[in-house]
Amino acid sequence: MSLAKPQLGKEIRVEEYIIEDEPFYLPQGDEVTLFETAYREKIPVLLKGPTGCGKTRFVEYMAHRLSKPLTVAKPKGKSAADAGNDHHRVPLVTVACHEDLTANDLVGRYLIEEDGTRWIDGPLTRAVRFGGICYLDEVVEARKDTTVLIHPLTDHRRILPMEKRGVILEAAEGFLLVISYNPGYQTALKDLKQSTRQRFISLEFNYPAKELEATIVEHEAGVAPEVAWQLAKLGEKVRNLKEHGLQEGVSTRLLIYTGKLIARGIAPRRACQVAVIWGLSDDPQVQRSISEIVSSIFE
Amino acid sequence: MDTPYRTIAAVEQDLQRFPPAISEEFQRAHEKLAPGVPSEDLLAWAVAGLRIAQQTIRSWEVSAEYYRVSPQVLSVLSFERFSVWAKQGETLSLQSPSIALSYFRVGFECVSILPMDRLAEWTQMGQSLYKGTWKSSIMAARFFDVSPAMLRALSFDDLGRLVQLLETLSHYSSDLAIEALALVADTFPRLEDSRGQLLSLLTVLVEKNWRDVKGTLEGAAKSLPRVDRQHRARFLRLAEQMITAGHSPVAPFVLDTSRAMGQLQPDGQARLLAMGEALIAIEYSVVPEFLRSGPTMLVRLKVPQAEAWFNEGVRLLKENKDAGVAFFRMESSHAEQLLESLSSTVELPKIKELMRMYSRALSGTQVEIASSQELAQKGIGWVSENKPTTEGSTVYLPPVVDQYPQKEENFDWYKVVTTHQVAHLEFDSFTFTYDRPSTLYKKDLRPRLSPKPRPPQITQGQPKPAIALEGWATDMQKFFDIFSERKMALDVFTLVEDGRLDVRVKREYAGIRSAYKRVQGDTLDTRETNEEMRAREMLVEMLVRLSLDQRTGLTIPATYKKEAERIARIAQRTFRHSQTVEDTSEATLRIYAILMSVPNKEVPPEDQEELDQSAENDSDQTGDSDSEDDKFLEQLQKEQQEKNESHQSGDEQESQEGGDAGEDKKYSSPRDVDFRGSFKPELVQLMNKLRQAQGQGQEEEQQQQISSEMLQQLLQNNVEMESPSKGDQQQVASLFANNLMREAGMPPANMPPMGQGPFVHMDEEGGPLEVHEPFSYLYDEWDFRAGDYKPRWCLVREKVVPEGDVGFWRQTVTTYAGLLNQIRRQFEMVVPESFRRIKGQTDGEDFDLDATLEAMIDKRAGITPSDKVYWKRNKVQRDVAVALLLDMSASTAEAIEEGSRSTDDWAAPNDPVEYMTWLRAHRGESGARRQYKRIIDIEKESAVLLMQGLELMDDKYGIYGFSGYGRENVEFSVIKDFHEPLNDNVRRRLDRVTPMHATRMGPAIRHATAKLDAVDAKTKVLFLLSDGRPQDRGYSREGVEKEYAVHDTKRALTEARRKNITPFCLTVDKSGHDYLKTMCQDMGYEVLADIHSLPERLPFLYRRLTV
Repeated sequence: MSLAKPQLGKEIRVEEYIIEDEPFYLPQGDEVTLFETAYREKIPVLLKGPTGCGKTRFVEYMAHRLSKPLTVAKPKGKSAADAGNDHHRVPLVTVACHEDLTANDLVGRYLIEEDGTRWIDGPLTRAVRFGGICYLDEVVEARKDTTVLIHPLTDHRRILPMEKRGVILEAAEGFLLVISYNPGYQTALKDLKQSTRQRFISLEFNYPAKELEATIVEHEAGVAPEVAWQLAKLGEKVRNLKEHGLQEGVSTRLLIYTGKLIARGIAPRRACQVAVIWGLSDDPQVQRSISEIVSSIFE
Repeated sequence: MDTPYRTIAAVEQDLQRFPPAISEEFQRAHEKLAPGVPSEDLLAWAVAGLRIAQQTIRSWEVSAEYYRVSPQVLSVLSFERFSVWAKQGETLSLQSPSIALSYFRVGFECVSILPMDRLAEWTQMGQSLYKGTWKSSIMAARFFDVSPAMLRALSFDDLGRLVQLLETLSHYSSDLAIEALALVADTFPRLEDSRGQLLSLLTVLVEKNWRDVKGTLEGAAKSLPRVDRQHRARFLRLAEQMITAGHSPVAPFVLDTSRAMGQLQPDGQARLLAMGEALIAIEYSVVPEFLRSGPTMLVRLKVPQAEAWFNEGVRLLKENKDAGVAFFRMESSHAEQLLESLSSTVELPKIKELMRMYSRALSGTQVEIASSQELAQKGIGWVSENKPTTEGSTVYLPPVVDQYPQKEENFDWYKVVTTHQVAHLEFDSFTFTYDRPSTLYKKDLRPRLSPKPRPPQITQGQPKPAIALEGWATDMQKFFDIFSERKMALDVFTLVEDGRLDVRVKREYAGIRSAYKRVQGDTLDTRETNEEMRAREMLVEMLVRLSLDQRTGLTIPATYKKEAERIARIAQRTFRHSQTVEDTSEATLRIYAILMSVPNKEVPPEDQEELDQSAENDSDQTGDSDSEDDKFLEQLQKEQQEKNESHQSGDEQESQEGGDAGEDKKYSSPRDVDFRGSFKPELVQLMNKLRQAQGQGQEEEQQQQISSEMLQQLLQNNVEMESPSKGDQQQVASLFANNLMREAGMPPANMPPMGQGPFVHMDEEGGPLEVHEPFSYLYDEWDFRAGDYKPRWCLVREKVVPEGDVGFWRQTVTTYAGLLNQIRRQFEMVVPESFRRIKGQTDGEDFDLDATLEAMIDKRAGITPSDKVYWKRNKVQRDVAVALLLDMSASTAEAIEEGSRSTDDWAAPNDPVEYMTWLRAHRGESGARRQYKRIIDIEKESAVLLMQGLELMDDKYGIYGFSGYGRENVEFSVIKDFHEPLNDNVRRRLDRVTPMHATRMGPAIRHATAKLDAVDAKTKVLFLLSDGRPQDRGYSREGVEKEYAVHDTKRALTEARRKNITPFCLTVDKSGHDYLKTMCQDMGYEVLADIHSLPERLPFLYRRLTV
């Protein structure tokens, strides 16, 4: 008799997190080319766009894509296998910023050990050291002192000053800082400073067009094409309400969640209720309005 | 008979002494009587008259009247009885000639009605009214005057009661009795079977409250016709019961109730009365209120639901009288909610907001929702007040729907209707472009069918107008110019387009499909086939049914089966596969051509046949074979040519209609499909064009404004224009043109200036209010006695304070320079608090060196070290929003120097006129050229200091003032709104903050709460600065209870608390403790003993509250 071993989550070191399987991503425009170029030219990238429109997915996709050996870039005379090994694989370090995130959290800190202290690299330091993409999600949420780190990393210097340790870390080849922010719900207090903004090229993201979104939902949620189409339609309609009662339109992510619930047999209207309506607003009037849209679209 | 006269001649001789009229009357009567009456009787008759004449100086008139009516009276009475009758008159004449005159005047009529034995009684009645006074003689005379009418209207016994009643009344006031008699005479004959009841009502009234008699009679005269005949007696009985119970005055009750009942059908009136009767037994004082509001309820509810509603009210009434009264007045939220939940009707205002969001979501444009009535009133071509429609930017819906027994079904109907209207916008019905190709047809007909351009209009040598006046104003107009039968073309276009949208909606919105199908089905069920339809109309009716998804049993003329099939095929194909409105236009051209080939003749029943389209093969088999298309084209071109020729020959219209072959009848449109409402593509395109032109016109000033004459020309031939009355075509068109232009926002002619209207005086006793202006908000008010909210009771008008001089601000800053520095320092100290390091954390930014050392030592010493070795910054960031509410009531005009004088402001009179005088007197004290400081000045100064301090911090704050007069005029003055920065405008505004009217705190607090609620902050504070208790006209029930205002204010503060707002009341009223204790209970408040300490105290309290 042996008990089945419970499947434990795999532990991966931050700097070794390489996206192996290609994430599903449908380009909305030329953002892939732009990003690739920026990466090669070491220009930091700022991703703007509402929540759940695919910013993170895009970064993951790019990290994967950049890790892949490009056939055109294959050096002459070497075999494909060699090229694969030789090619620099791009780890992706994602940090979700929150209002308590300080510079130390990014750079690293001393921990107490047996006989003293030990330095632990923060996620940013690791990305700099190993030449990965460091993605700071919702960067304006972080404390102001993080900008001190961002600035020297994002101009020609490409260095990370590690004050505590008294060293300066030069960024490895392949390092790129990518930050994202959602212009929708920024108050005047939490806006990105011009001196920070102007260190990045900005890629604007928005929710995909209905047809594209339907394809995405269909793929991600595994629902029938009609359902995906209906969900995309719901997304389009609800987004029309932005600024007229809704702070933010429904995200593609939420539509995918809804799709997943439907694919698993939850009644569509109920799935929309829990995933879309209740998630979007607490105002009963607004909830009722969205629910009427839902009941028009879904049987 | 003992008489000195032996002959008639002798009598006649003596009569000569009187005015000649009497002899004339005598002779005339004598001539008539002489042949039939025995001579001795005749003599007696003559002598009786003479006797009367001899009585007094004025009695000759009576005598003349006696002679005049005698022949008539004798024709119905025997002489014996006649004598009795005459004798009675003689006696009366002795008492008062005027009474006798009336007696004789009505003699004939009365004796013919009354039996002899009653005659004496009747005379007696009249006599009893005479009390020897001049007034009573008028009354008695009047009684006889009206007797014939009364005798016909009343039974003799009732007449007796009436006389008795009048007699009693005359004890109180003879004038009133006389008036009452006149009114009775006027009223009674018009009432049918409810006279007895009215009489009984009056009897009770005379006993209870005689002053009310006249008013009630007048009221009854006006009100009874409104009440259904069979319920009149019952209605009067109810009024009588009210009087018995002690209600007074009853006249308004009668009037109001009848007005209310007038809104109901007879059976509803019966139910209302039954409920009223039931209520009297419990609490009579609520009955008038109930009867006034009852019809609203009865109209909306079905019988069992109405019962339920009523019973709930009765239950409340028994439990708590005030709550019950508020319930029946419909002044309680509970009553409204219950009504709403019981009612199956759906009213537009209730769902307007919902539908607005729904429409905006679907269409993706800024659609508004409004009632169809509004559109009809604009007079721009739409007349129906109950049909849904859209004019391109607003969806108009019927104000109320009560088609189905269930609320849900009614709501679904609304939704279907809205979806259809929005579909016009969503699927682009109005963006028709003449030159854009269709998606369904290989070869479009339109490019080959250009109609003749309209001639250029007026404007020579003038700048180019906003709209092209040459050719066509809109593409839709150009399209319809193709057709000679414009109306039919529009019908076909509408049906095909509506059908296309219906199919599209059902395909795109699976969820609404079933409701949509039901509405379509119900529409079909109510359409009856008209037997007298002519061939073309029958085919159009078939199209209606096809568009409503009826596939079988379509009645068609057998002769034209082929045509019918072709139409059906084209229509079906457009419905199913079409993408754009251009497809509709192509289909319209083809269907129109087919229809025109069918003569509009009558179709006898035996020539009718049923078409079955259910098996229609759905394959996209192209019906538009080139040859067929060419035929259509040829036909249409020919028609166009004819049209142009007739156009040139001058008399276009007549020649067209009369000129058609033989028995062709003029085409008439099918009945509208209700749920689709009216569709006016040409008008909408024109409206959009006008709006656009207006938008551009504002930028380019030199562009010539389009005049209404030009517009009128554009509207020529438009068949979509409906006019409410059949007036002069020219005149109507001109009116439309003007209205249209106003609607598109073109001329400012006579437009009322935007902004706050004047004070509207509204009775405290009214119902809920409505918002009519921008920046007005409605709030409920708490009625503590009823324990419920009065819905939408107060209207808060928000306005920005006008700007004054910045000097006041500077002055204050200079005067208080010392204090200001102090405040600054204190405020600055608040800020660093948020950057303080907190030690002893398990996690943090860095090691706390001391703690780490200690932990190391502990560890070496073998003691478990503490893991709290980190420090971190205080993460409590200041996130404060505060609203400061300043009392701007009249009482703040009081000078401070004499501030010790305690005035009880409660003495404010309730009457509006008196109130204003009172107010002026109050303000007068502090005239224009004051030298001393007023309370408000200190308030303002404190605000300045607080604002100076606040600027040091990141706190969001708003400064507002409040005052008002009555519940419909709560003034909410914005000095600085949350989102505004502190600039010179704000500083200038502060100068103009002046004492105004009363203090209705509740709504002001509610509005400030709403403002705070919209602000995103962790700590929210509502700071209320006042100088006395809340008070306002009618801010109390029955005007006596101060608690009403206090309780409402308390409630408002509690509401704020529930929204996570900390309210704080600061008052400078020394007697503030008594009511603040009730008002604020567990909330913070402070009574300032010395008003001069306010500038210091306010910033201090602020700091304490927010840290």
